[in-house]
Amino acid sequence: MSEYVIEMNHIRKEFPGIVANDDITLQLKKGEIHALLGENGAGKSTLMSVLFGLYQPEAGEIKKDGKVVEIRDPNDATALGIGMVHQHFKLVDVFTVLDNIILGAETTDKLGFLKKKEAREKVIALSERYGLKVDVDAKVEDITVGMQQRVEILKMLYRDNDILIFDEPTAVLTPQEINELMEIMRGFAREGKSILFITHKLNEIMAVSDRVTVLRKGKYIGTVNTQNTNKQELSNMMVGRPVQLEIHKKDAVPGETVLDVRNLTVPSKIHKNDAVRGVSFQVHKGEILCIAGIDGNGQTELIHGLTGLEKASAGKITLCGEDISNASIRKRSRAGMAHIPEDRHKHGLVLGYTLEQNLVLQKYKEPRFQNHGFIRFGEVRKYAEKLIEEYDVRSGQGPITIARSMSGGNQQKAIIARELDRDEPLVVAVQPTRGLDVGAIEHIHAQLVAERDEGKAILLVSLELDEVLGLSDRILVIYEGELVGELDPKHTTPEELGLYMSGAKRQGKEEKQNA
Amino acid sequence: MPRIEPESGKIKWYKSDGAKSVYASLISILIGLAVGTLVIIIVGLLKSNISPKGIWDGVRLVFLGVFSTGRTDGQLTFGFNPVNMGNMLFRATPLIMTGLSVAVAFKTGLFNIGAAGQYLMGTMGTLSVGLWLGWSSCPSWLAWICAFLTGIVLGALWGAIPGLFKAFLNINEVITCIMTNWIAANLVTWWFDVHEEFKNAAEGGKVGYIIPLKNVDVVTPKLGMDILFPDSQANGGFWIACLIAVLMWVIMTKTTFGFELRACGLNRHAAKYAGINDKRNIVLSMVIAGALASAGGCLYFLSGNTEFYWSTYMSLPADGFNGIPVALLASNHPIGVIFAGMFMSTLNIAGLQLKYLTAYNEYIANIIIATIVYLSAFAMFFKMLLNTKRKKAKEVQIAVTTEEAKPEIESAETDEAAAEAEDAVDDEEEGGQQ
Repeated sequence: MSEYVIEMNHIRKEFPGIVANDDITLQLKKGEIHALLGENGAGKSTLMSVLFGLYQPEAGEIKKDGKVVEIRDPNDATALGIGMVHQHFKLVDVFTVLDNIILGAETTDKLGFLKKKEAREKVIALSERYGLKVDVDAKVEDITVGMQQRVEILKMLYRDNDILIFDEPTAVLTPQEINELMEIMRGFAREGKSILFITHKLNEIMAVSDRVTVLRKGKYIGTVNTQNTNKQELSNMMVGRPVQLEIHKKDAVPGETVLDVRNLTVPSKIHKNDAVRGVSFQVHKGEILCIAGIDGNGQTELIHGLTGLEKASAGKITLCGEDISNASIRKRSRAGMAHIPEDRHKHGLVLGYTLEQNLVLQKYKEPRFQNHGFIRFGEVRKYAEKLIEEYDVRSGQGPITIARSMSGGNQQKAIIARELDRDEPLVVAVQPTRGLDVGAIEHIHAQLVAERDEGKAILLVSLELDEVLGLSDRILVIYEGELVGELDPKHTTPEELGLYMSGAKRQGKEEKQNA
Repeated sequence: MPRIEPESGKIKWYKSDGAKSVYASLISILIGLAVGTLVIIIVGLLKSNISPKGIWDGVRLVFLGVFSTGRTDGQLTFGFNPVNMGNMLFRATPLIMTGLSVAVAFKTGLFNIGAAGQYLMGTMGTLSVGLWLGWSSCPSWLAWICAFLTGIVLGALWGAIPGLFKAFLNINEVITCIMTNWIAANLVTWWFDVHEEFKNAAEGGKVGYIIPLKNVDVVTPKLGMDILFPDSQANGGFWIACLIAVLMWVIMTKTTFGFELRACGLNRHAAKYAGINDKRNIVLSMVIAGALASAGGCLYFLSGNTEFYWSTYMSLPADGFNGIPVALLASNHPIGVIFAGMFMSTLNIAGLQLKYLTAYNEYIANIIIATIVYLSAFAMFFKMLLNTKRKKAKEVQIAVTTEEAKPEIESAETDEAAAEAEDAVDDEEEGGQQ
């Protein structure tokens, strides 16, 4: 028997005009946790799709236990014991946990009735054996994201898979849940199951994996033992140049209040309760205030209420001394608010417009860019070229590139260029580095710190703990639409932050009043 | 505004996006004509009264109907026919206007299927005001302007209704447009039913029609059309339509207003985020679309010699719906709409020539139009085919462009490929679970 359960040798996969995987080799040992590391677009997903039978490689071979196998579709993969937890869960919301687990692998009696009792026993046995706490009769829409992930894992176990692929599993979890997940993964490895763990978070790799394979731009860079490496080396391998992992910044010198929010309440679009309930805070000149929380606790609605994308039902917002509680979006932005939106495709860019059109999306009405309602194309072009140069936005055809054809990182750079160049006293940055690779993140963090040092007030919303702790000068934790604590990033730990984020801990009302 | 860079020479004009739209439309047209030819041949073979020569005549008329000069000694003759030509332009006028209406709405992300109703409202306003003022002592040029403006304003208001529903209640404009179409049809019928004075009772058997505007001398000036195309129905309305098309092109591409409208159409959320009043823009673009469609009705009946069959509650004007294929054929380009409208009316003329000069009837032309309508929906698909061809060519181009830009483009495409891969995974998974 071979040392490896899965070997992918010299895999090459081409798409029209591009080589997504170029001579990639990945060897998975029995009972190991193997991390697959790479930036966005490095070819991780393509490689896993090849393993899962969704793509046929142009060259290379896949071996299972030393024997060459052909995986033509996901059914072949399942038959070989390969299972996958996708980044976005594939669950039927209105089905129970049990129904979701057996879906597609139902066993029936002779008359075609489901043998649910048997399935139920098997699921409960599995869940106890691996410490995967789930409520088998709860509907998926009612359970937490962490439990949904456990359901996904149980789906793989129910199908007796012993090669488990986790695609960015920690993106949606709290620190505590991440720790639990890692414990579960270690348990699988001890049982002899093999785990492929796709991620770009270095902390997790260092914590849980045995070996790491690094891809960059479709090429195989190398495989290292986790013990013999460190975060710096891994990130250098991933990006191809030395990367600054730590955010270097001076101590904040907070000045006068720029933004004052009092008792802001924003209704939810999804349910009857308010998504944001009576939130009050201030942002000062020269500080980065971070709103931390698990996704879906009202951050989005808070920002929408603040920027005017949605109407707040109560509360007062004062920006630079001006009451903007009921102002239009344009008035708010003119009053001194730049906004890097959470969803760059939905709000940030008109994807069908060119880069230069996107760069003047708020400014086209300024006298500089129009003459009696006619756009001054020359001025727009000049301005776009200036921003592209200054903020290093790269694209195929410069100002006339259609925004849709640009890479995610450069789309985000374009938005940041547009917003920061407006030079407003308040910058609202919502997940400014979401989905970006290490190199781009480094760049954006440096820019935000530079803005702060120039005396801007920065309101940051982030789900990434590293970013929350590394970038901010003050942290407010939001839980179920309320601010439950204020923390100093210098004196707190990820664990403490996690307790607040998950609602397990909150600063008392008295304390808040005293503060 | 994807403008071509002359100095970099990266995209030649014949490879530009616009050119590809033209190719795609031409492909649709050619296939449509081919299908028409096939139908003519099959019908000719099945019917005993059509000889092989008759089939050949039919085919020639489909392609060259507008140049037909009748028959001499049993042989079809072709040449410049000012009557056909002029009538073609005359019939193109309302098509250009409804085409513009649909195209402008499309550009702003709305599907204006309500052009027919707006057209009817315009017709009603124009005819009523034209006749009233024509009977009064008002000078006829002023009557013309008032009639035209009334029609446009009515159409604009009619277009505003679906716009308001869409903007404030998020009700799909297609549904409201269809409903307002039939409301318009009944409203117009009711209006002329109760106003006996508009009915053409003077001429025998014409009481079902409205008095033509030429009777009160409120007609569009010829503006040279009578010299160019003597004896035809052509008039200055065609020039007005062209002028409006150019104006729409300027507004949509050169002004901040057009910038806002298109931003709303492409991404309502991003427009809102940028401080653009998305609701106002949705209403405005429907108002413009309504005004354009109704202008088609106005110009058609202001020609003076057209007669409006007022009991229209059972049917909607074809010109209203034909605006959709015109816009599609033109890839929603306002200038392209002029040519697409002319092409559609050319087919109309060809149909009439078939009817008068051969044993075929004019419905063959309708089959061709229908085929092209159907295929014009595929115009996007043809364009995509042309695009994938270019993508491969682009690879070669990338190799010769600067080294600096190269990795960036590659990574952008890797992203795309990765996203595609992910999507594929999603799809497969879902398929597997079912």
